[in-house]
Amino acid sequence: MDALVHFLPQVWFVILALFLFLYVMLDGFDLGVGILSLTTSDESRRSLLMTSLGNIWDANETWLVLVGGALFGAFPLAYATILNALYIPIFMMIFGLIFRAVAFEFREHSDRKFLWNLAFGAGSFLAALGQGFALGSVIEGIAVDEAGHFNGSPWDWLDWRSILVSLTLIQGYVLIGSTYLILKTEGELQKTHYRTAKLAVATTVLGALLITITTPIFYQVARARLFSPPLLYVFALIPILAMLLVWMLVRSLNRQEEATPLVWTILLFLLNFLGLGLIIFPYIIPNHITIYQAAASPSALVFMLIFVGFLIPIMLFYNIYNYVVFRGKVAGDAHG
Amino acid sequence: MDLLSNTVALSRMQFALTAIFHMLWPVLTTGMAIYLVIVEGMWLKTRNPNYYHHARFWAKLYILNFGVGVASGLPMEFQFGTNWAPLSEAVGDFFGSILGFEGAMAFMLEAGFLGIMMFGWGRVHPVIHYLATIMVAFGANLSTFWILVANSWLQTPEGGELVNGKFIVTDYLQAIANPFMVKSVLHMFFATLETSLFVIGGISAWYILKNHHQTFFSQSLKIVLVVAIAVTPLQIYIGHLSAEQVAHYQPTKLAAMEAKWETSPAGKPADWSLLALPDEAGQRNRWEVVIPNGLGYILEFRKNLSLPVRGLKEWAPGDRPPMVALIYYSFRVMSAIGFFLAGLMLWSAWRWLLGGLAAERIAQQRWLLRAWVFAAPLGYIAVEAGWIVRCVGRQPWTLYGQIRTVDAASRIPASNVLTSLTLFALVYSVLLVSALYFGSRIIQQGPNLHLPCPGLDNQPAIATQPAAFVPDQRPLEAQQ
Repeated sequence: MDALVHFLPQVWFVILALFLFLYVMLDGFDLGVGILSLTTSDESRRSLLMTSLGNIWDANETWLVLVGGALFGAFPLAYATILNALYIPIFMMIFGLIFRAVAFEFREHSDRKFLWNLAFGAGSFLAALGQGFALGSVIEGIAVDEAGHFNGSPWDWLDWRSILVSLTLIQGYVLIGSTYLILKTEGELQKTHYRTAKLAVATTVLGALLITITTPIFYQVARARLFSPPLLYVFALIPILAMLLVWMLVRSLNRQEEATPLVWTILLFLLNFLGLGLIIFPYIIPNHITIYQAAASPSALVFMLIFVGFLIPIMLFYNIYNYVVFRGKVAGDAHG
Repeated sequence: MDLLSNTVALSRMQFALTAIFHMLWPVLTTGMAIYLVIVEGMWLKTRNPNYYHHARFWAKLYILNFGVGVASGLPMEFQFGTNWAPLSEAVGDFFGSILGFEGAMAFMLEAGFLGIMMFGWGRVHPVIHYLATIMVAFGANLSTFWILVANSWLQTPEGGELVNGKFIVTDYLQAIANPFMVKSVLHMFFATLETSLFVIGGISAWYILKNHHQTFFSQSLKIVLVVAIAVTPLQIYIGHLSAEQVAHYQPTKLAAMEAKWETSPAGKPADWSLLALPDEAGQRNRWEVVIPNGLGYILEFRKNLSLPVRGLKEWAPGDRPPMVALIYYSFRVMSAIGFFLAGLMLWSAWRWLLGGLAAERIAQQRWLLRAWVFAAPLGYIAVEAGWIVRCVGRQPWTLYGQIRTVDAASRIPASNVLTSLTLFALVYSVLLVSALYFGSRIIQQGPNLHLPCPGLDNQPAIATQPAAFVPDQRPLEAQQ
């Protein structure tokens, strides 16, 4: 029984992490493309950017719905406390995603595209910003009482470290968005995004470095965890692997390869994600609430696992099928 | 209490606003998805290009509504955490799991196949495309199922009990199959279908009246009519069953629906109030128009009540729903629309039997067609009114009989909620106006009857050549 009490929350922590990773990766490039769209003044280019997302953005955004649902069902306390504490960043994200979502359809029918272009780009930016603040403050920790309820102030989430995390996340989204566009476009448009990708590599790495350096300095608990074996070896390995991946990524960009930049970027995301997961685990609200404290009752976790567990491969299958159907470049060589 | 500094009241207003706004979009797409399955199936069967063009034309309205539905759906899921944290913590085991199922099982299915349904015409074989359309429709209606399971459970919580402020589930299947579940799911399923049928029918009637594509749109009107003949009376019957279950499980809601202050004993007839002006402070109706001895007929189809119907005065003011007039009139509006739509359907079926809907004569049925145009928005009003009855009538409880709404709300600064509420009001107003504007543009442009039909034979499963690019346009397969 004790094993079950520990095992089930761990399973759900992994499922939650999977959903979150899929969301960050997939809607990450959607949002990155959205942010990049702010830099182009050419309407037909912007059309291409949006068309490259037209068939997938809503499925990608659905992973966020799953993150919310899994967190709510498997870790109700964490769902309640985190969202309660992050009221402002969460609504920032929601309004951003609302603008982004309606822009797809409204722009198509509108004569005054400027307004919906702005909704698309600024909405993507706002959503990424809110997500970054949320991520930053969850890593930093949320003020809670003994029962695990939020007892901080509504502006706790805003400080220079969460700003740093947020800006870095935006750079990461721009990076993955650029590499996605390298894969999906050609000609001038593709060249532009080789450039934006290189720029984004630099800024993302800078941000990640700053976060990596400041985290052990400012968080005692993180420091203690980081510098004790066996995690020490893992955390020594992660920066080395990350540097390797960055090198591979830059090389593939320099060689004008089309698919590999996206692959290296995804692996880079995955590596960061694993590192983050290892720092946070077994907490779900770092340093206050563990996944065991926040978890729903074992029966609820089993109940959810039965229904959601078998769906994961099915969902992955038809999502992948969707990408296969729409593989290839968005535009013909008529443009570029 | 000052409203602007009352977090609970503001959170409720925000939930009401976002829920009422959100409901407008999936209510159409869920039902319309079934219509799209019908017309695409008819195209595959008959190879009549008209049906293909129906599938393409109505899908344009579908995707417009779907976009706003996705956008307005997100705040629904996250609000439980931001504004209703104590509730989320208490009922997360069951309620959260069900919302998770809705995402994983239903919404993902709809969103995952939507891309192929909308933009995949030239890329997959028509049969695969049809499968995608079916998946979209299936996913959408599965969403209805899970959301109504979750809401019904809040209305009639079963399958466990509240222990130290946390609902411990002992039997998940019993919680899913809670007393309200079956009838509520059916009532909502038919509501989405009926609403979208009358939207499609109303738009078709408008075209016929305007002499645009008369033959084409008399086809859709007739498809709608065939389905509506079954749906409208069924919906009235299920509505009656829903009221019966309210009478049994939520007597406070029934009393508010009928603005009934005094208890009517069993074994005797009771008056049914048709119209009234409820006065909550005075615990009475200032005036009312009653149908003598009508209540027994309405509830039980007979004169004498077999069980007493309790009046609002039986509960302390804090234990019964406020805003009695809102609940009372919402119920009447919903019911009246249900009967009106059924009547309209009867009138149309009668005309059809007399041959009045034949292609050359249909345009002469001016008044019938005008009634259809008038009926187009009525489904929405009925659905919103019904949800107001359901959720305002549940007050003061969030988890009926167990957790009060005041205890369910997060303790957050009222100014935060006021800000987000104001933003929602502003943003949603813009979205509503824009969606109506762009929707009417789609309707004014009309169907594109020149789109080439994809061939059924000798077509590669997946196009290997990229589509030709037309500047400032969706790629070929995405053009509508």
